[in-house]
Amino acid sequence: LDGKPGISFELIAQTAFDEGRAHLATQLLNHEPRAGKQVPLLMNMEEDEIALDKAIESGDTDLVNYVLLHLRSKLPLASFFRMINTRPMASALVETSARGEDSELLKDLYYQDDRPIDGSNVLLSEALQETELERQTEKLHLASRLLADSKDATVVLQQKMLNESSQLLKVQEALDQEIAEREEYVGLSLNETVYRLIRSGWSKRAQKVQSEFKLPEKTYWWLRLRALVAKRDWG
Amino acid sequence: MAPNSASDADYFRDKARKDLLALLEGVRGKKNVVISQDLAGPVGLFVKFSLLQEYGVDRVFLLENANVDSTQRNVVFLVHAEKARHVRTVAEQIKRLQRNGNVEHEFFIFWVPRRTLVSNSILEEAGIIGDVNISEFPLYFMPLEQDVLSLELDSSFGDLYLNKDPGCIFQSAKALMDIQQRHGYFPRIIGKGDNARRLADLLLRMRRELDAEESSGLNGLPARGLLPSASTESLIIIDREVDFGTVLLTQLTYEGLIDETVGIKHNQADVDTTIVGPGAAQESSKAPQQQTSKQGQKRKIQLDDSDQLFSQLRDANFAIVGDILNKVARRLESDYESRHTAKTTTQLREFVNKLPTYQLEHQSLRVHTNLAEEIMRVTRSDIFRKVLEIQQNNAAGADATYQHDSIEELIARNAPLKTVLRLLCLESCMSGGLRARDLENFKKQVVQAYGYQHLLTFDALEKMELLQPRSSATTMLLPTTGAAQAGLKTNYNYLRKNLRLVIEEVSEKEPEDVSYVYSGFAPLSIRLVQCVLQKPYILALTKGGSAPASTNTNAASTTSPGWLGFEDVVKSARGATFSIVQKGDDKAVRARQTISGNNAIKTVYVYFLGGITFTEIAALRFIAAQEALRRKIVICTTGLINGDRMMDAAIAKGGFAKEE
Repeated sequence: LDGKPGISFELIAQTAFDEGRAHLATQLLNHEPRAGKQVPLLMNMEEDEIALDKAIESGDTDLVNYVLLHLRSKLPLASFFRMINTRPMASALVETSARGEDSELLKDLYYQDDRPIDGSNVLLSEALQETELERQTEKLHLASRLLADSKDATVVLQQKMLNESSQLLKVQEALDQEIAEREEYVGLSLNETVYRLIRSGWSKRAQKVQSEFKLPEKTYWWLRLRALVAKRDWG
Repeated sequence: MAPNSASDADYFRDKARKDLLALLEGVRGKKNVVISQDLAGPVGLFVKFSLLQEYGVDRVFLLENANVDSTQRNVVFLVHAEKARHVRTVAEQIKRLQRNGNVEHEFFIFWVPRRTLVSNSILEEAGIIGDVNISEFPLYFMPLEQDVLSLELDSSFGDLYLNKDPGCIFQSAKALMDIQQRHGYFPRIIGKGDNARRLADLLLRMRRELDAEESSGLNGLPARGLLPSASTESLIIIDREVDFGTVLLTQLTYEGLIDETVGIKHNQADVDTTIVGPGAAQESSKAPQQQTSKQGQKRKIQLDDSDQLFSQLRDANFAIVGDILNKVARRLESDYESRHTAKTTTQLREFVNKLPTYQLEHQSLRVHTNLAEEIMRVTRSDIFRKVLEIQQNNAAGADATYQHDSIEELIARNAPLKTVLRLLCLESCMSGGLRARDLENFKKQVVQAYGYQHLLTFDALEKMELLQPRSSATTMLLPTTGAAQAGLKTNYNYLRKNLRLVIEEVSEKEPEDVSYVYSGFAPLSIRLVQCVLQKPYILALTKGGSAPASTNTNAASTTSPGWLGFEDVVKSARGATFSIVQKGDDKAVRARQTISGNNAIKTVYVYFLGGITFTEIAALRFIAAQEALRRKIVICTTGLINGDRMMDAAIAKGGFAKEE
């Protein structure tokens, strides 16, 4: 039969499967060029891995997503992850659809794949969605803890900056309590904080923040210049 | 076999309109339409709201606003089915209406561009699949201009390079199949880049599937296999990731700068009324989305070739826009003056007849003069100049570390984050990553200046391979000659010389080379296209001669197809290089050749996968004008892109503040 175009292997395979000859059916399906017909049948026959591979081959993201959806409800999470993590397109699609909707799944996935930075980033984005300062800091701590045992340079830097961010939040909270202004300090970036402090005339505190966070001298002077101009303080 | 007299743009416009209206006709009586935001603009390109009203559309709602009401019994959803999130929103809204409404609604869903299995299972889970009438609205290419077809997939860049979601490759393939169905197979598919290769493979695969479909006679298609097209020369696919550098630069054509400063979406730009004056009333009711988003002091300006003045201005370098405007103003004035010489009644009548055109021109002149002045204000600012200087040094291949002080200054002066990131990415792309220590420094400064949430931004940029430390394996440049180490990235250093990317003596007034669009830098992507289409010109350019392209007409038009002659050069750009010939039934081809002869002007489709910039469009038009005698160039893309939109895909939203 091979080499003859235009034979509907799907129909033949379906018949073979109905006859109970599953193995033959799978073999036959390999010749079916139309993935759209091939995949659902493969899923019917519980040839899940082949179905996934064929869907990926077809490039049709809908088919892939469909198979993934099916697999996820069927398999235990661990074997689901195992199945996708050798297939980059599949795991990319799982990650995409989980982002923003199912962060628990993402955390599990990154944990199992040993991707601490990705995992801590999930927590960081969760922190951004929190509205309470306390919860934000909590998430940041969790994010930083995930990175704790690694010695890799990028990871160390990442962790350092995460810690810095919760430190900044703490400083800003204190500022809000000491200085009652119309606007809050919490949530500003470091540069903005320094800028606002100078503009409102709290130079001492600004300097303290600068040294605490080791803000580069040059940046500090630019901020000071801009803030003083905004304040029209030409002294 | 010759229904291809109309241009593709007109064909797709008509087809989209007809399809949509036919679907609306299928819904009897009046109806409310719910449309998703990313479709509202594109739909405005081919159908006007007034026409929808004639087809019984009462009101239009945006899906994202979730405010559809029960004024009409029929509710029609017009939504992309590829995005599961949208599908879920639709399901929620249908359930909400079912619960609240005192009317028993009829629900219709038009999935764009097709009904998906995933959407089925979501509706099934929600338990409403039985209550809705589902149809497909096969909308792929939307014509922006006669020579520009776009899928208008806003998120395609992020999808493709950040999320590695190949959905838009699949859609591209479907869209290109439409063209093949109409004109016959592309005789040759030429491409550069890994995703381009994937797209080509999909095209071949879909052709096989189509053959299988036809010969099994299942869906009653007329069983005629398609032939290689007689009216098409080839399809050239360029993967965006082959040349990220071009997009990161600030575009310097008029349209490019409008896009950089104001932003152009679906041929429209929102401009402050203080700049262009309040618009005429009829203009603000063109597309459905304007009905709902009419707040603020913005006015929509139509930017396409229907405006004669704009079609003159759009592709010009911004430096000469003032001159053109001035010239047009003078001519217009003398046109008006001509009324004095009109003495006889016939002369007077002629003048009066022309008056409306004059007035229209006058209006458009005023808009563009003001717009140009506004842009001038931006381009004269200190920060803009500084940015441009850094960019040009990078593009010219100067040691990028000398620019670091300037970038640090920009950060301290709180320049827009996107601008800063574009500069960093530009350096990373052009010189194969940043030194690890420098990158760490910048990371620190950026998060301190713009917020710690941008740790996520950096992560995303690294995933997109736009901004990386030099030590990482994926930043290696492709080796130029013989060196054994494996590299992956486009080697701008090598290509800069071998494809003459930098041209210093470019004239902006009467450009002789595509490099005019960046005032001296030729987009690599376009140079690659030239390697296929304008071989003699490129050869002359690189050998130091300066033979203009148009002289050498007959030599290389058909003799050396594909990448022939440039294989080695092209190898230094990222990703796969390929040139595939699609063969058909030889007998039929030969028969047709004898009938039609072989001298007709053929079309070349240039497909930009992952987005194209306005500068690149301008450059392609520049080439098209030179090639007009031999070829017609049609530009296709997944969407329009610029550096800011590229950054948008990566930048983390949200902050630690309480509001927002």
